[in-house]
Amino acid sequence: MADTKSDLLQGTLDMLILRTLSTEERHGWGISQRIQQISKDVLRVNQGSLYPALYRLESQGWIASEWAASENNRRAKFYKLTRLGQSQLDRETANWERLSAAVQRVLENA
Amino acid sequence: MSFLRSLRALFHRDRLEGEMNEEMRHHIALETEEGLRRGLAPVEARRQALLKFGPIDATQDDCRESWGVRTLETLGQDLKYGVRNLNRNRGYAAAVLLTLALGIGANTAVFSVVNAVLLQPLPYERGDQIVVIRQPERTSGSNDLGFSVAEIADYREQTKSFDSVVEYHSMNFTLFGGEEPQRVRTGVVSAHFFDVLQVKPLLGRTFRAGEDAIGAEPVLVLSNDYWHKTGADPGIVGRRFEMNDKVHTVVGVLPPLPEYPDDNDVFMPASACPFRSNPKTMENRQARLLSSFGRVKEGVSLQQAQADLDAVAANLRRSYPDSFGPSTEPRTVLSPLKEDLVAHARPTFLVLLGTVALVLLIACANVANLALARLAGRSKELAVRAALGAGRRRLVRQLATESTLLALAGGALGLLFAVAIRGALATFAARFTPRAAEIHIDGAVLAFTLFVSLLTGLVAGTLPGLPKWDRLARVLVESSGRSSGGRTQSRLRSGLVVWQLALSFMLLIGAALMLRSFSKLQRVDAGFKAENVVAMPIDLNFEKYSNTERRADLDRIEHFHLSLFRSVRELPGVVHVATAYTFPLNNSFQNDGTFQVEGAEPGGALPSATYQGVSPEYFDTLGVPLFQGRFFEERDRASDTKAAIVSASLARKRFQGEAVGKRLSFDRGQTWRTIVGVVGDVRHAGLEREPGDTIYLPFSEFPGYTATLMIRTLSDPMTISAGARAAAHNLDPQTAVSAARSLTEIRSDSIAQPRLTTLLLSLFAFVALAISATGLSGLMAYAVSQRTQEIGIRIALGAAPRRVLEMIMKEGLTSAAIGLGLGVVGALGISRLVSGLLFGVEPTDPLCFIGSAAVLVVVAVAACWMPARRAVAIEPVRALRME
Repeated sequence: MADTKSDLLQGTLDMLILRTLSTEERHGWGISQRIQQISKDVLRVNQGSLYPALYRLESQGWIASEWAASENNRRAKFYKLTRLGQSQLDRETANWERLSAAVQRVLENA
Repeated sequence: MSFLRSLRALFHRDRLEGEMNEEMRHHIALETEEGLRRGLAPVEARRQALLKFGPIDATQDDCRESWGVRTLETLGQDLKYGVRNLNRNRGYAAAVLLTLALGIGANTAVFSVVNAVLLQPLPYERGDQIVVIRQPERTSGSNDLGFSVAEIADYREQTKSFDSVVEYHSMNFTLFGGEEPQRVRTGVVSAHFFDVLQVKPLLGRTFRAGEDAIGAEPVLVLSNDYWHKTGADPGIVGRRFEMNDKVHTVVGVLPPLPEYPDDNDVFMPASACPFRSNPKTMENRQARLLSSFGRVKEGVSLQQAQADLDAVAANLRRSYPDSFGPSTEPRTVLSPLKEDLVAHARPTFLVLLGTVALVLLIACANVANLALARLAGRSKELAVRAALGAGRRRLVRQLATESTLLALAGGALGLLFAVAIRGALATFAARFTPRAAEIHIDGAVLAFTLFVSLLTGLVAGTLPGLPKWDRLARVLVESSGRSSGGRTQSRLRSGLVVWQLALSFMLLIGAALMLRSFSKLQRVDAGFKAENVVAMPIDLNFEKYSNTERRADLDRIEHFHLSLFRSVRELPGVVHVATAYTFPLNNSFQNDGTFQVEGAEPGGALPSATYQGVSPEYFDTLGVPLFQGRFFEERDRASDTKAAIVSASLARKRFQGEAVGKRLSFDRGQTWRTIVGVVGDVRHAGLEREPGDTIYLPFSEFPGYTATLMIRTLSDPMTISAGARAAAHNLDPQTAVSAARSLTEIRSDSIAQPRLTTLLLSLFAFVALAISATGLSGLMAYAVSQRTQEIGIRIALGAAPRRVLEMIMKEGLTSAAIGLGLGVVGALGISRLVSGLLFGVEPTDPLCFIGSAAVLVVVAVAACWMPARRAVAIEPVRALRME
């Protein structure tokens, strides 16, 4: 399933999940669809990583979950970003930007 | 915190499970709908959705991980598998259990001793505030000169850092009022002595202030031990006994306490001791017969208290310069009481602790090795489980759980083992420290056992090499057929065996050194012939013969002994009979003093020697040879010869060997004594000590009311002891005769400490060797079973059985040789640690190294022999047909 395009850096998946949840509450499938869609199919989330990551993030208190009716009226578990999760996302985003800018500079100038 | 969450998850787990299933079902449903939208057939859409989701069990497993409940849950599973597995392999489990029980049991037992003696606080309240105060002396090397009555009073009044400073000394007195006059060891103490120790009495009370004043009613406090020995009468308080011609009333009984400073039977206040309260003793600032203890005030550090003592010591030295000889150290020093109680035991106990730790490490290696061997046997099972999605970590955990389970069971068995040998160990420890009675299996020991068991389980479970597990698991998965675990694993196993052998070799050398040292100690020439001699301490009623200044009293003492000699000579089988101040090897009695050689250059410190008053037949009784001159004779008392006999070492040092006829003085030249004989050196102070310079004086000239009767007989000397005792009581019923002991027993007892230490160390070394031999044998058996096909082919192609045997033996002995090499290096490194326990043997003694190496090689050959024989017996046809 996991083709070469979808190999995510360790820890990056957490950041992407937090980011997709920062706009609205989503269920698991919604998160993976959203990431795939926004990245124009470059990033595919392996479910074997997605759910463990969600459970881990929840136990760390960065996201919270509740059961609600989904768009087609089925019971679904929705995740939302907590305040703690927001600040974690900010930290990780800043880190990521610093890192990718640095890599960019090296690629252009080295 | 996370543990709490785990617990919560454990209780809500049905709900959590349900929600997780529902969530993932929902995901797959949405994915299926997506497929339908793309125009797939319903069955195909669902198939693809499932495929895309991947192995749902593994994913759920990973999710459960973050609940934390997983750890607990899998622990339960692991335990279940573990028990099932061990039950299926009883032989393996039994071998490991036994190994671990020995290792953990030995550690528990030794730790219970170390804990009680070295780690636990003293059984006195605020025991760290109690100090021993000493005046060291330079020339004789004695670390305490003692204090005089006046000096103790000065220290008590002039220091400010102590709650109190108390005196102590111990004497033997005769107690009348029981069935027979009884010799009792008596602690003579200040009234505040028990306040310093903070001891609460078991019955009655301890001493009151003022009871140590001259003229106070004499009272007694009994030690717990003595009270039990005499029948544990609950109404003992108020009973009266006669001692030193005075009536003493019992006022209390002490609780069980370390027998410290000595194993006293009774305690009396200082004033009741006729020696101590003699006006002459009390005036004489140099009559230093007392020891001193103090309790440092709360909030005052030991350094401050020491500074306080220094100031007073300097002051006393200024005020009474005459009372200090040139050899007295210019200091008065304190040391914590605990040091005094355990200092002697520490080196031996620590060596033992190190030894049992090594034994356990060797046992661990064996358990790991057995686990590895079994792992190879279980490779199919593990590979199947890995293929079915069991995580590698889970497999590791499973194995660690198994070994922990074994270790805990081994620990429980070991605990039983430790409880069983507790008594023997306490007896052993009692040879080293008064604290031995405190040895118990208490909470701290149980915690230690649990901790060691868990640690052992973890070490044994992970010793196969945690980083290598990844590779191992891969090997297992890849070669699902007849995997042997590969080269990594067998190298690991032989590595473990090499280390086992190295550690065993180190223990072997330790034991060999101790054995050799002990055998030297046992055979050392003590200077006397111990066989067929019995010694009986005899104490006359002091009050009757007390005035040793009066010749009439001395004559009566002498008369008693001469009459006793006559009676004893009539007993059957008696060859010689003699009396002396004390028997040889009596450590607690050393009568040292200085002397002056006639014609020697004045100035400098005077030489010192041990004095011994002996009757004429003393040397014949003990079998001490005469080198020059003559022994004492009856006329030496009556005549004015004022004779002395010196030991050979003294004659050599002071008179270049020509001592007979030369003169000595004990009173700085006022009177002189003539040396009439030179006798062989005797190790009076202990077999391990070089014989000291000794001066013998005629007992009849300086009779003491305390003496030891010694009798040489033709055969077993103990048979006449009852007759000798009766003879003494016949002459004077108020005589206390202590238990008779043969000199061979006394000699053997004097080296009980090294004997027990040697025994224990040898035992541990033997256990370690046995465990290592099992390890080596198992390794070779395994290697042979792995190479059955190869060996079968070799034999089929015509390899001689001898060649096959050699091949296998060579492999095993290579491990042994490497282990031996490492062991030599290790032993050279640490043997200096045991050098303090050795007598007459260098820690690098080549004989011990060679002997230990020989033992190791023989054991290694024996361990490899069985597997090698099995290799030779392989039938080629059957070997090739396997699989």
